[in-house]
Amino acid sequence: MPDIVVCFKWVVDEAYIRRTSSGDLDFTSVDYKISEYDRNAIEAAVRLRDAYGGSVTAMTVSVPEATKGIKDALSRGPDNAVFIADPSFRDLESSQTAAILGGVIKSRMSCQLVICGEGSGDFYAQQVGPRLAEILGIPCATYVQKITIDGGQVIAERKAEDFVEVVAMPMPALVTVLPDIGTPRIPGVKDTLMASKKPVVTLGKGDLERIPEASLKTVGMKASRMERECEKFTVDTADIARFVGALQRKGVLR
Amino acid sequence: MNFKLSEEQELIRKNIREFAEKNVDPIAAEIDEKERHPAELFKKLAEGGWMGIPIPTQYGGSGADYLTNAIVVEELSRSCASTGFTVSIHVGIACMLILLFGNEEQKKKYLTPLARGEHMGAFVLTEPGAGTDVMAATTMAAKDGEFYVLNGTKTFISNGPLADTYIVFCWTDKAAGRKGMSSFIIPKGTPGLKPGEHFHKMGLRSSQTSEVVFKDCRVPKENLLGPEGAGMMNAMTGFDHGRVGISAQSVGILQAALDESIKYSKERVQMGSPIARHQAISWMIADMATDLSAARFLTYHAAWLKDQKLPFSKEAAMAKLFCAEKAMHHTIKAVQIHGGYGYIKGAKVERLMRDAKITEIYEGTSEAQRMVISGNVLR
Amino acid sequence: MPGVWVLAENRSQTLELLTIGRFMAGKIGTSLSVFLCQDRESAGDYMACGADEVLLLPEIAKDQSLDAYIPILSEEAGKADPDLFLIASTFRLKEIAARVATRLNTGLCSDCIKIYFNDRSGAVEMERLMYGGAAVQRVVCQSRPIMVTVPPRTFEPAGTESGRKGQIRSLKESPRSAGRVLERKRRERESKDIREAKVVVCVGRGVEKKEDIALARELAEVLRGEIAGTRPVTEELHWLPEELCIGLSGIQIKPELYVGIGVSGQIQHVTGFRDAKVICAVNKDANAPIFGVADMGIVGDLYDVVPKLINELKK
Repeated sequence: MPDIVVCFKWVVDEAYIRRTSSGDLDFTSVDYKISEYDRNAIEAAVRLRDAYGGSVTAMTVSVPEATKGIKDALSRGPDNAVFIADPSFRDLESSQTAAILGGVIKSRMSCQLVICGEGSGDFYAQQVGPRLAEILGIPCATYVQKITIDGGQVIAERKAEDFVEVVAMPMPALVTVLPDIGTPRIPGVKDTLMASKKPVVTLGKGDLERIPEASLKTVGMKASRMERECEKFTVDTADIARFVGALQRKGVLR
Repeated sequence: MNFKLSEEQELIRKNIREFAEKNVDPIAAEIDEKERHPAELFKKLAEGGWMGIPIPTQYGGSGADYLTNAIVVEELSRSCASTGFTVSIHVGIACMLILLFGNEEQKKKYLTPLARGEHMGAFVLTEPGAGTDVMAATTMAAKDGEFYVLNGTKTFISNGPLADTYIVFCWTDKAAGRKGMSSFIIPKGTPGLKPGEHFHKMGLRSSQTSEVVFKDCRVPKENLLGPEGAGMMNAMTGFDHGRVGISAQSVGILQAALDESIKYSKERVQMGSPIARHQAISWMIADMATDLSAARFLTYHAAWLKDQKLPFSKEAAMAKLFCAEKAMHHTIKAVQIHGGYGYIKGAKVERLMRDAKITEIYEGTSEAQRMVISGNVLR
Repeated sequence: MPGVWVLAENRSQTLELLTIGRFMAGKIGTSLSVFLCQDRESAGDYMACGADEVLLLPEIAKDQSLDAYIPILSEEAGKADPDLFLIASTFRLKEIAARVATRLNTGLCSDCIKIYFNDRSGAVEMERLMYGGAAVQRVVCQSRPIMVTVPPRTFEPAGTESGRKGQIRSLKESPRSAGRVLERKRRERESKDIREAKVVVCVGRGVEKKEDIALARELAEVLRGEIAGTRPVTEELHWLPEELCIGLSGIQIKPELYVGIGVSGQIQHVTGFRDAKVICAVNKDANAPIFGVADMGIVGDLYDVVPKLINELKK
């Protein structure tokens, strides 16, 4: 009967990011969502609880406005939530997020399994999971497709480029999961309405240990642009021959 | 004033949108083409609690408000107007009438399976000679001891062929005028109740529409919904609720028309630039977006009034009138924006245009709405 | 000894990292070290390709995974204080990089697509994609070592330079990790993985019907490449399997040659092949956005162009 902590991130829904006419990114009308990969993580946690018993606590580090994210997470099945919020938590770096989560888990919670998504939908640095495992000093398996629990062990099937590695880890342990772990449910009406009735512990900066400085600093962000000189050709045979000749010269014909 | 939906309403909108994209979009063209009722889809809707949103949980519903129901009907209609409508009439009229006027036993016996989505409801009022003019109805319920015996033919009944529970309106005392009409809850399979001719429609084709015929149909008096003579009042209350649903359905159609028009006009290049950059097209889209916003506000306002337990009859009629006419107007424009491609079967805008027309007709024609509204403001 | 370090899972990844490693070591003015775990005979080879030092990782037991190296890597880095640690972005190494970075209390730039020395600021700057490819994030790391994971095929493999020498150093045994590998299963692929393809011919909505995909397929055959599709063609129309969907919602490819046939060039699709070496497009609309991101484009009806192209290529 493992007590599971599942971590999620409330991210900008990239479908709402627009480009201005000058090609810059426009965030003025963005909406937020639970990072897609973290929806898989929540689903995995809830299915494990349903299969083995125990409990699921959803946890996030975010800005205070992310209350909707907490409700969204709870509507997907967890029993309760820990919401660590501060206005300065908008652009945390992976190492800081992991440090905050780790500090809270160590000092206030007892759990046998921590589940994270493989990466977040915005930065996709894929670091919080493995960093958190190091901070907690527990074994970790990343990019996991399947989880089973066998006594005090977690059996995880993790994906590598050419093979799948099945590992057994003593609990407590941490896994990060791939979407293959299971399609997230679509919460029903009652699930959403009941979510706000589930217990939520809200923690602020004052409840936390000192947050480390980010060593990775973002010094610029721009819309990605491709600049290629497009040489145009027409349909007449001579032009087509010229086109094939150009391909030849670029060395891409085999 | 607060124009912001609650967090729950926003989340429910996202969830039903995701549900519709996954389960409704892929079949919408097919069920339109084949006039098929997608039972498998309604099973999934029932599982998520989408078939009884504003009904209290003690009667099998989800216990949300009426505005949430409108949002869900809108999002479903954005994918498939027939699906949105089927939910709308089932919840907005069949379930709501039993909730408002049924006794405890009726709520347990009939409302609970309806709100759970295990049963489907139908609203049985219109007759061949009685549309807007409800008083021209001829179906009679003659009292016979502990029973009423119904005779008559109802027509254009949505969910007619597949309903489990019919809410039926007929005269118990024709001479008493408006006070002589009563309403009954009649389960399917009651001897003498028979769905009649099935109609093939221009639009809204996967919604099942038929006649419902009563021939010496004996109904025990405990199936009377509300007191004898309350039928007309019940019907009008049903219309008020139903109209919010049709408004929401129209908003969904309008949103879909806008979605399709924006997508196509950005892709389609004519005379050297995407047609979205041609003023003739971009202005059509501007008008469409503006009317969509107005339509949505009217609809949500009517639903909000209902949730606040304030009078909403006039606002529901205004919303229905405006939303339906704008849906029709702009789906025609959406087809125009698509040019020849919009006239081909399989183009979503073609279906939207056919589906939009009915919103100006059923649950009170636009003319009937103007009667309600003018009656209200000229009082 | 400070320096630039390279860690990868196989030879081709290592050679790619040696290219950028050599370049950065030159810029920073330091040496280049490479870790070697399996094919030990490659040591000389790697030195010829630019490594000044080869660090031999100990063999690990069969039931141990690569994370068994975390303690040695962290300990060595703690002692040697390298400037820059380049690691191949594979599933296993991405985890190891993050865990080593945590132990070293330093920053890690994941999936870096560009790394350079900013002469003005004197800092190593790195670029990576975010928001599903819509944006490029530029980062600096303010602690040592600067850790970076680099996706395979980001850089050209290093070439050999004759006469280069270096030293080999064996690293000590490592403690066992807590996890135990029970089994390794080879992964079976259902269809050919187009991420491996050198040439990809991609079908867009300009193709009028499913049968016409044969035309694109024929072109792909002549080019010895594979076929793929845009989202509408795969996920919406199902004319091609969904695993062949290129773009934000599908897969990202980096072939030598991408040829878009009747592809309009929406950003979500373009993100899926932006780093192809050569991008070509066939579209009848001269203003289609695809031409804005292509190296070469043929303006014309694909039903006219593609057969002519096939003919010419067959010559």
